Amino acid sequence: MRLLLLLLLFPALAWAEPATTIRQVDIKKAPAADADTIGQIAENTAVDALERKGGWTRVKSASGEGWVRMLALRFGGPGAARQGDSGVSKLFNVARTGSSGTTVTTGVRGLDPEMLANAQPNPAELAKMHQFAATRDAAAGFAAKGKLQARQVEEVQ
Amino acid sequence: MIRLLLLTVIFLSTSSLAYAQFRLDLNRMMDAAKNVGKATREIGQEEEIAIGKDLAATLLGAAPLVNDPRMQRYVNNVGRWIASQSERPDLPWQFGVLDAPQLNAFAVPGGTVFITRGLLERMRSEAELAGVLGHEIVHVVKKHHLKAIQKGAQTALAGEALSMATQQSRNSVVNDKLISFGKEMYGRGLDKGDEFEADRLGVVLAARAGYDAYGLPSVLQTLQAMNAEDSGLALMFKTHPAPGERLDMLGEKMQPTLDAYSAQPQLAERFRAEFKPAR
Repeated sequence: MRLLLLLLLFPALAWAEPATTIRQVDIKKAPAADADTIGQIAENTAVDALERKGGWTRVKSASGEGWVRMLALRFGGPGAARQGDSGVSKLFNVARTGSSGTTVTTGVRGLDPEMLANAQPNPAELAKMHQFAATRDAAAGFAAKGKLQARQVEEVQ
Repeated sequence: MIRLLLLTVIFLSTSSLAYAQFRLDLNRMMDAAKNVGKATREIGQEEEIAIGKDLAATLLGAAPLVNDPRMQRYVNNVGRWIASQSERPDLPWQFGVLDAPQLNAFAVPGGTVFITRGLLERMRSEAELAGVLGHEIVHVVKKHHLKAIQKGAQTALAGEALSMATQQSRNSVVNDKLISFGKEMYGRGLDKGDEFEADRLGVVLAARAGYDAYGLPSVLQTLQAMNAEDSGLALMFKTHPAPGERLDMLGEKMQPTLDAYSAQPQLAERFRAEFKPAR
């Protein structure tokens, strides 16, 4: 019961989302490369994604439950891996009506392309923003509280 | 005779007037050409910050800040810590949560970064926030927008040098051009290559700051899981490569880096605690 309450409070803790494998993947017993392999899922198979730990996602599939490489999954159900640009262009074709080329803005307000183009500067809001800025030292203290440690990591080009 | 003299005087005075007019125009044209040159040369840090101020004010004109000082300070702490790990740690970094339901984030030249409330609400941990802020910080550090604005303004100014020559305040014309190009750019987006670079180096920055490096890929998967026709994604999808494509690129190049730093903290609890009032 308490667990259920927790799940209701924090839906982020557990989620089941339909996903599709973009390649054949091993199912691991634990979220680690050297963990036991307990099965395999074929390419383009529908699974349910349950939680993520580092680069691993726990999934439920017809071939069993366990951990697979997070980057081997694409979300949004079967065929999701191929959705991408076509979905977007379709969206924009729908949004564009009439020969005049006027775009019907679908968002309520704020950050649609046209509203952005018509936006007038709001210097008062910018001044307000300054007061929330953190100093370098304050941010370092905040990081230490979260047990975050700065590391040397090479750039990848 | 008198009439001829009069005619000559009139002719001379009008031609000298015309000459003066011509000289004036020549000067203006030279000024305009200088300004074109100005838009093409390397922009210094001070100027970059000034341009950023105008663009940031404009974005805030499209959507104001969420009225939640605690949330704003939290995002500033996370962002400033990550920016401190970059090659430009001493810019006047500032971060703002825009009160907009759409899902997006924006980097502005000079060290200003915005994220929308809509995107923040879809996140599950501080590591995810770090991944997105890392991506935006890279845009600033690598001057992606600044270079794009410069390039766009340069083309426009070169074409308009002649007509600009007849206008009064030429400096403000150049400035207006930069701003209007900036606006257009935020509606159009950067080159794909810039976005992929920001993804790769954003992951590196988040890892340097000590976060689970999988934060950004995780947000990309969330975006991918959403309905592509969700109106909240329109601008994001218009201005960025598809999330699936971004994930492919990350997987291809970043797997070793991602895995090496995947066990670092996600700070999901701190993230949830900070956003309790808003949720």
